[in-house]
Amino acid sequence: MTLTTTTPDTAATPTTAATASAGRPLDGLRTTARVAALELRLFVREPVMLVGLVAFPAVTVLVLAGVFGTSPDPEFAGVRPSEHYVVGYVGVVLAHMGLVALPVHVASRREQGVIRRYRASGVSGASMLACHAVVGVALGVAAGAIVLAAGGAAYGLPRPEDPWAVVGWAGAGLGCFVALGIALGTLLPGSRAANAVGNLLFVPMFLLGGGGPPRDVMTGPMQAISDALPLSHVIGGLRMSWLGATDDPRALWWTMAVTAAAVALAFRSARRRVG
Amino acid sequence: MTPAAGAAHRTGAGGDAVVAVHDLVKRYGADEVIRGVSFDVRRGELFGLLGTNGAGKTTTVEILQGLRRATGGIVQVLGLDPGAQGDRLRQRVGAQLQGAALPDRLRVGEALRLFASLHPRPRPIAELVDEWDLGRLLRRPFAGLSGGERQRLFVALALVARPEVVFLDELTQNLDPVARRRTWEVVRRVRDAGTTVVLVTHDVEEAEQVCDRLVVLHRGRVVADGTPRSIVESLGGAATVRFTDGELDVRTLRNLPGVRTVQRHGPEVHVTGSGPVLAHVGAHLVAAGRPPCDLRIERPSLEDRFVALTEEN
Repeated sequence: MTLTTTTPDTAATPTTAATASAGRPLDGLRTTARVAALELRLFVREPVMLVGLVAFPAVTVLVLAGVFGTSPDPEFAGVRPSEHYVVGYVGVVLAHMGLVALPVHVASRREQGVIRRYRASGVSGASMLACHAVVGVALGVAAGAIVLAAGGAAYGLPRPEDPWAVVGWAGAGLGCFVALGIALGTLLPGSRAANAVGNLLFVPMFLLGGGGPPRDVMTGPMQAISDALPLSHVIGGLRMSWLGATDDPRALWWTMAVTAAAVALAFRSARRRVG
Repeated sequence: MTPAAGAAHRTGAGGDAVVAVHDLVKRYGADEVIRGVSFDVRRGELFGLLGTNGAGKTTTVEILQGLRRATGGIVQVLGLDPGAQGDRLRQRVGAQLQGAALPDRLRVGEALRLFASLHPRPRPIAELVDEWDLGRLLRRPFAGLSGGERQRLFVALALVARPEVVFLDELTQNLDPVARRRTWEVVRRVRDAGTTVVLVTHDVEEAEQVCDRLVVLHRGRVVADGTPRSIVESLGGAATVRFTDGELDVRTLRNLPGVRTVQRHGPEVHVTGSGPVLAHVGAHLVAAGRPPCDLRIERPSLEDRFVALTEEN
């Protein structure tokens, strides 16, 4: 181990270096982009995460869509069950990203002291939050695209009835679940808790929020629970704007309200946990 | 002068203190973990925060970096308030944090490039790689590094931004004795290159060997401060001269300069005293024609003082 002691601008004039650094504060966006790009690269190296985020929903949609067939069915609001599930599973993968993958990711980074390490190097708390959001958005977009590609290739998909509305609902769903993911990741004590709570939230939301049985076959209480779940509205919005028909609820205001609450919670818990 | 003005004065442009802590208090609910701690760190010194586990060392340095908020007191680092100006401050200080890690799958080379990219004038990565012997590890993921390799990487990351002050928290934890001594040497050279070093340690030998000056923390309070030598001497400077002579009349030793007590334990004689007591006892024994073969002196160590301080408090 050798130490180079002849670094003139460090050794001789520490105050000069200080002035230069202090006069050029970190470019927050550039920092966020660099950390987020690296975090995404690391995410791709985590096979368990990728299996949970992409493989599970892709296989499930292929099975469900195959089971219920490709003929229009009145129990599915008159659309083909395959299309019903393939479009709906875009919302399911967003929910999995926001309720399981992102919280576990954020909580484990916090638990390992990685966020403290970044913070000690001048990465601001706001940059860390933005970085988590970028990671969530990128994962959600990738997972949604994979589900559409897999389902569309297997069963075929019609052109969206209203492409801009599809984009709008996908964006609303993405925003909602990214905010929930960061809120859970910063709020829960560690990655194991995030995994447990995330799955506890995801499984019923997946089954009652549009990823399981069609709304027509649900009992009254089940429908009431379904109406309260943000995933039901995101999936309902996606199905209506893509397929032109759905029995699912689709109140944008409710999705936005959940998003706003999650953003407020995320900021509050991040301020406390991350600084 | 108010405490705030005093702290500002000490860390101002003309002052020599780059870190000024005055009456620092940190509470978690009813639990007060830092209880009125005050100290200064001067520019260019290698300063130690020594204490047992749970003494409040890590909490103190995390407050100095703006990673935790103080409950009370005044803290200034490089003239900045870490609580209010933490992001600015962290551009000028480096840190190796206890308990902090990197993502398991992050490679050493990626970590160096990322952390260098966060600063406007980073040190060349090749220089850090050479300095901290990281060349063969560049493609290795963080999870695959040994304890010592991780510490070397963390120090390299702490120095990448050309910091004016670097905080090193339990730096040599998990290092073998050889790596530990090499690390001490490198830390001294970091100081020699102009960087103020704040070394947090529970290792008394490390504090004694490496630090120019230190404070001893115990249960959230400063119980001693000064150079390692001055802290040892605050014991009263009592040294013990020992030798074996079963027939010597020990009363002849009592009037020698510096001698405090003389005791016989069987054939062994113990003489306590201060100053050049060894020389006086040796000269007396030679003059008496009884030079012992095993004349030796035992001086109190910083560890003795540290144990005494923590037991007293």
